[in-house]
Amino acid sequence: MKILILFTFLAYTYSQAEDSDDNTTELLNEKFRLNGLSTQDAFGSARGKALSATVRLVRNDKLIALGGFVDPSGYVLTKASDCVGAREAQTSDGKTYRLKIKKRDEKTDLALYQLISDKDSFPVVQWGDENSTRTGSWVLSSFSKLEEIRVGVASGKPRKIGREGGVIGVILGADGDSVGGVRISEVVPQAAAYKAGLLKGDVITSVDGRKLKSRDQVAKIVGKNDPGDVVRIQIKRDDEVKFFNVTLGHRSVTFDLFNRNLQMSGPVSKRKDNFPMILQHDLPLPKNSMGGPLFNLNGECIGFNIARVDRVTIYALPAEQVRETLSKFLGK
Amino acid sequence: MRGYPIVLFGVFFLRLFLPAEENQGKAWELPVPSNPKELLEIQDRLQSLLPKVQGALVSIEANDGAGSGIIVSEDGLVLTAAHVIGKSNKKMFVRLPNGKRAPAVSLGGSELSDAGMLKITKAGPWPFVEMAPKGSSQLGAWCFGLGHPGGFDKERGLVVRLGRVIGRKDETMRTDSRLLGGDSGGPLFDFNGRVIAIHSRISKKPDENFHVPIESYLANWEFFQNETLFTMEKMEKGGFLGVACKEAKGGVMVVETIKETPAESSGLQPDDLLVSIDEQKIDNREELTILIASKNPGDEIKLEYERKGKSMSSKIKLGKRPGE
Repeated sequence: MKILILFTFLAYTYSQAEDSDDNTTELLNEKFRLNGLSTQDAFGSARGKALSATVRLVRNDKLIALGGFVDPSGYVLTKASDCVGAREAQTSDGKTYRLKIKKRDEKTDLALYQLISDKDSFPVVQWGDENSTRTGSWVLSSFSKLEEIRVGVASGKPRKIGREGGVIGVILGADGDSVGGVRISEVVPQAAAYKAGLLKGDVITSVDGRKLKSRDQVAKIVGKNDPGDVVRIQIKRDDEVKFFNVTLGHRSVTFDLFNRNLQMSGPVSKRKDNFPMILQHDLPLPKNSMGGPLFNLNGECIGFNIARVDRVTIYALPAEQVRETLSKFLGK
Repeated sequence: MRGYPIVLFGVFFLRLFLPAEENQGKAWELPVPSNPKELLEIQDRLQSLLPKVQGALVSIEANDGAGSGIIVSEDGLVLTAAHVIGKSNKKMFVRLPNGKRAPAVSLGGSELSDAGMLKITKAGPWPFVEMAPKGSSQLGAWCFGLGHPGGFDKERGLVVRLGRVIGRKDETMRTDSRLLGGDSGGPLFDFNGRVIAIHSRISKKPDENFHVPIESYLANWEFFQNETLFTMEKMEKGGFLGVACKEAKGGVMVVETIKETPAESSGLQPDDLLVSIDEQKIDNREELTILIASKNPGDEIKLEYERKGKSMSSKIKLGKRPGE
């Protein structure tokens, strides 16, 4: 069903405006905007706590993720899949530390690192109750350079995010367009179906031997497989029957190339599916600033940012999930 | 600062009736919040408004796309974006936040502002929200958006975004409320829970997005409801007067007349206030364009206008829009 939604949606993701047309429009001073400096200042001590409890994780002098202090001796939690090869951590006071990895957890995509230091008074996050955060509640996190914060609101219901199945990388025509199958109306360039040799106009009649008549069915059967799995697709091309073995791709990788909405979003997290529970919010943070803690208006940590999904959506693992994983990491 | 005296009056009257609760200004009416307490007031206000307005949000499902919309009348009129409905008289479905589906048909709109309208064809009563009156949302006003980006999703529910009005110009409102392409047609509310705009287009800058102001709907209500979608093509082929105008009180004001057009030969001048065409009052620039371009080149219109406070009237034969 989600695949179908994505397909049907592409039609409406193309409406974008030129930014150059209104130099004459009077715009609100940037400092008064939602993420302006004046608004950030209003967050007071929550702002200070967010900045001091967050660290930058660096590889080859480049920021790859943020993390948050969870123990005064320098333990830091972060997003595991974005942090591979992190060597250094930088704190908001400008200091740099060497890093070593301690643990990783596949289920939550969290990893535990330790800053190499004798210091045992790192400013740890204070845990809050994520259940007090409702849709419309303020949330904030440190921004990339640890000099500013980004603010926004919890924007959707907390929920489980299911696994993204593999995709063949085509846009399917409307049901009933062709007899006994589903017509391909677009082949995503460089994606799985393209590489296998499928063409626009081909009519898919079966997948792995199962006959198909609707877009829903194609999406469902293909989506049961994981990226990397091979499915056998039967098509009709100019009255000729052909078979193709298609190695499925990642949905995000496949459609991000095609989706201008996401092109305008900038890079999104590679792993953004299959989480036991998430809080959704709309902080404007780039992909390389995932892994850091998320705070409420009181400056309490209510989660860790775990995936940038698109230009307006970030998923955070709720504090309860994070603490559970942390206890496991620390063997408590 | 337009409308400032009216706000003061409003507060004055509220004071008479609600003496205890009204204190020295609400956090969301300040130029900028300055402490966590004021931020909390903004959050509380937003969260108290959500349950009142979210029941009227719909996701729109047509066989070639989807979007969002907001019900604004008991009998099921829905405001959305023109690019969501695509054309008039198209059958579609709306889905309410509780997941229930109802049949609907697209009415009119305008590609100039991207305003669009549709109607639920099943009998109501439907939950609906109030629309803000003309000119009520000022630069810096706090606002919040609702939508179903990517279509209806029961697990996620509707999506809420917070922001401020950062710009207003003619047929466009801009806010820093975050927006995704898939939010198209969803409503933007003020902090009184009234619709002030409809989501239209995203900007490359994530905090400078575009919305159709409610004024576009209010000015062209009958035209939109009359099941007509005003298209760019119609504008290019329809009647042409040849004036550049700006919004003004009581009509639209001529800024410039273009050479060798009906406007020039009829003697229209800068600062003339155009009031009505064929007895229909002109509320904004878009309405003027729609009224004129809905006629054909060669048709005659009766234009009423004011020059230096004096009422004038003239019959003008429309021309053809010059090609690029």
